[in-house]
Amino acid sequence: MVDEAQSRQGQPLSARFRFSAELSRPTLDVSVEASGDVLGLFGRSGAGKSTLLAALVGLVKGARVEVEVDGERLVDTDAGLAPPVHRRGMGMVFQDHRLFPHRSVRANLTYGMPAARGKGPPFEDVVQILGLTDLLDSMPGACSGGERQRVALGRAILSAPKLLLLDEPLASLDRGLRREILPYLASLRDAYRIPMIYVSHELEELLAITDEILLLEEGRVRGLGSAAELAMQDQCLELLHDCGLVFTLPCEFSRRTADGLVWVQSAGGHGIACGDFEGAEDPPGGAAVDLLLRPEDVILARPGMDAELSLTNRIEGRIRRITKTARRVLVEMECGGPEPLLAEVTERALQRLDLREGSPAMALFKAQATRGRLRTK
Amino acid sequence: MIAWVDVALGPAEWQALRVSMEVSVLATCLVALPGIGLGLLLGRCQFRGKLMLDALIHLPLVLTPVVVGLLLLMAFGREGLLGIDLAFTRGAAVLASAVIALPLVVRSVRTAAELVDDRLLEAAAVLGAGPLRRFWDVLLPLTRPGIAAGLTLGFARSLGEFGATITFAGNIAGETRTLPSAIYTASQTPGGDGAAMGLTLASVALSFFALLASEWWMRRSRAKGNP
Repeated sequence: MVDEAQSRQGQPLSARFRFSAELSRPTLDVSVEASGDVLGLFGRSGAGKSTLLAALVGLVKGARVEVEVDGERLVDTDAGLAPPVHRRGMGMVFQDHRLFPHRSVRANLTYGMPAARGKGPPFEDVVQILGLTDLLDSMPGACSGGERQRVALGRAILSAPKLLLLDEPLASLDRGLRREILPYLASLRDAYRIPMIYVSHELEELLAITDEILLLEEGRVRGLGSAAELAMQDQCLELLHDCGLVFTLPCEFSRRTADGLVWVQSAGGHGIACGDFEGAEDPPGGAAVDLLLRPEDVILARPGMDAELSLTNRIEGRIRRITKTARRVLVEMECGGPEPLLAEVTERALQRLDLREGSPAMALFKAQATRGRLRTK
Repeated sequence: MIAWVDVALGPAEWQALRVSMEVSVLATCLVALPGIGLGLLLGRCQFRGKLMLDALIHLPLVLTPVVVGLLLLMAFGREGLLGIDLAFTRGAAVLASAVIALPLVVRSVRTAAELVDDRLLEAAAVLGAGPLRRFWDVLLPLTRPGIAAGLTLGFARSLGEFGATITFAGNIAGETRTLPSAIYTASQTPGGDGAAMGLTLASVALSFFALLASEWWMRRSRAKGNP
């Protein structure tokens, strides 16, 4: 059993998974092939995200479902492979923790272990990663919201699922707690490499754990790719924009100056000041961080513009692509690194500055409009 | 205190108290399994005829106990439909009490079972627990307060059972003369007022302690985290 766990860790980092689900009411018609450790499932509330997960795990009657993870077929209802929920080999973390109120934290954590038949990760390790050591003998009723959700995560991991479905696991927590728990989730993902489908209606939360995002609307797939890639597709832009589009720039941590600003260096070599950095302590210099930025906070100018402005960050680059919808113009700018910078401008501005695909441009944004966080993916 | 009780309760009254306790304990044991089973069935399952079953179980709650006693006599009497003659025996007293107590147990268990959150059972299933484990580990423990309350209520109701018992089991001293029957007999006997009063006080005390015990049970299980 130990060998199996080790070989699992020795495998290439990403799992391949394929799944499809069809349901008539509510409408669901999804067929996806993806690879990566975590697939982010994003969409407005009512887009069918939770229904999709429920269909995959077998909690919805009458759904046609197929799930394959790393070549192993877990469900194929058409071929008669339709095991009941408790034999599907999938784990699920719900928005409401669903801990058993009459069992201690320890007894909750171990509940799925018999079904795991020793294939799960060691109990003590999971408890340690999730920081639950001191809570083991408490009852769930005595735990805080964040602690309960951590127990729910641990309980799911310990049941050794072949595919872990997370249905808005942090939605019931406030923003501060969410930021606190995300790193735990990232360490679990890195420690056990369990393929996950992670549902959220907060793009920021998804971007902390994955780059691969499946965009769902009215039970159908709208797009699959990184947030920036999706945003540049006109059929996804409006939807993403309504849900609060953010994108991330991979950077390295430099230092914090006396005025409280945190300085990072982008992959393209630009020094960027950021007004807010998540986490109690600053990471060491050179640590990989993500810079979060909203396209509507980015201003475009002609290159070489040297007007005296209060803003700090100016990055020169080249416009790679422009996506237009009836209401919006989104500009994708190359700035040296692997990830583009996105700026939302008006059609009028585009014409006035004579910006087109291929032309050089300068992006300006305030330090206060950016937020940095330790890179966890 | 003891002396006063001794004055009020002669050997015959103590005997009635003992008979009552024995009958109620046995009736509660007899009703426990079917009561819990039917309560869980009605609380968790959908099936044809559920309404009919529900009404049938609850009939003794609204019928006058004398009718229940007569029906039992028709079923289990000397020339009864079932061919088993139980009438006017200790067994008849137990059965009468059990039938009267059944709806109380079922109601209490059913309500508790209905309140068990389906989402917890789903969570257990996703964690790999089959139907049997979900029943033992989740449904049953979460229904426990309702089971305890139901059995206590059933026990207390048995202690007070009169109509069905006196019709089906009679009023035989030392055999089927329970507290209520003894009170009735004493109150009909010239000079029996003292004994009737003593027995009445004993019944009040007994029922009171039964209810206290049930409340203590509920609080203890709530403190353990049960809803």
